[in-house]
Amino acid sequence: TPLSPQTRAARVRVGRGDKMVTYEQAHAPHHIGHRKGWLSLHTGNLCGEAGAAQRALEDAFLRRFLAGTFPGLLLDEPVLKRRGNLLVLCALLARALPPHKLYFLQGYTETLLGHFYKCPVRLELQTLPARLPYKFL
Amino acid sequence: TLMGARLAGSHGDTQEPKTNPLVSISDEPETLYKRLSILVKGHDKAVLDSYEYFAVLAAKELGISVEKVDKPPKTIERFTLLKSVHIYKKHRVQYEMRTHYMCLELKYLTSSTAAVYLEYVQRNLPEGVAMEVKKTKIEKIPEHIQKPVWDTLPQVKETEVKS
Repeated sequence: TPLSPQTRAARVRVGRGDKMVTYEQAHAPHHIGHRKGWLSLHTGNLCGEAGAAQRALEDAFLRRFLAGTFPGLLLDEPVLKRRGNLLVLCALLARALPPHKLYFLQGYTETLLGHFYKCPVRLELQTLPARLPYKFL
Repeated sequence: TLMGARLAGSHGDTQEPKTNPLVSISDEPETLYKRLSILVKGHDKAVLDSYEYFAVLAAKELGISVEKVDKPPKTIERFTLLKSVHIYKKHRVQYEMRTHYMCLELKYLTSSTAAVYLEYVQRNLPEGVAMEVKKTKIEKIPEHIQKPVWDTLPQVKETEVKS
């Protein structure tokens, strides 16, 4: 079924050609499952499973928290994974801070979120020199 | 001195069997499972396919016979909401959630084999996207059914056997 051209959900509109857009931002939400993956992986939204609302709330808080502890360093949306009790946060960072500061922030987020959510939290960071462009719109 | 003590050593002719603290040996008869059915649910079919390959390989390595690998059709839960906060009833948004299934059925297990296999397979469950619902069928041999009732006593004992 074709989509209306007036939908504006999670789409980056075509501009002059100088706006850099990552792979995640370039694809519209109807490409999820086909060209895109999921940013938050949990079992709450499966048929017959409960806890979708709690997971959604936790995801919102975790994204705001990560955006706040690494201000300006997050290159792309962090991927949140839940394996049983374990919460794994995978984030891509820019190389603006020296490594010992990044290690401190990693330990800080892990302990604080662990105490807050009462579950083991693992933060997996990867640094890149710059944001990876997919297209220029 | 020290060298003499080492040569004399504490190793005698009788060697004590090394007891692994993880392995427990009990004399109770093990419960037998006729069929172990594992249902895996997920949003992503590719993840479920790779997990199926992994689970079937693990079963073959442990020597468990796989009865069949069933792939029930996916269920799509759709709902239509209003697009706007206040009015505009004619403009809606539709969302859907797809759940793919994969059912793995294993034949003729003992309880310890089932425990080992399930623990291994559950520890390597991929994050979020696949969930496991396990149904086991237990084989029992109750004593009061072994002889037919009409041969022995005039008293009819009604025993309900629910499978």
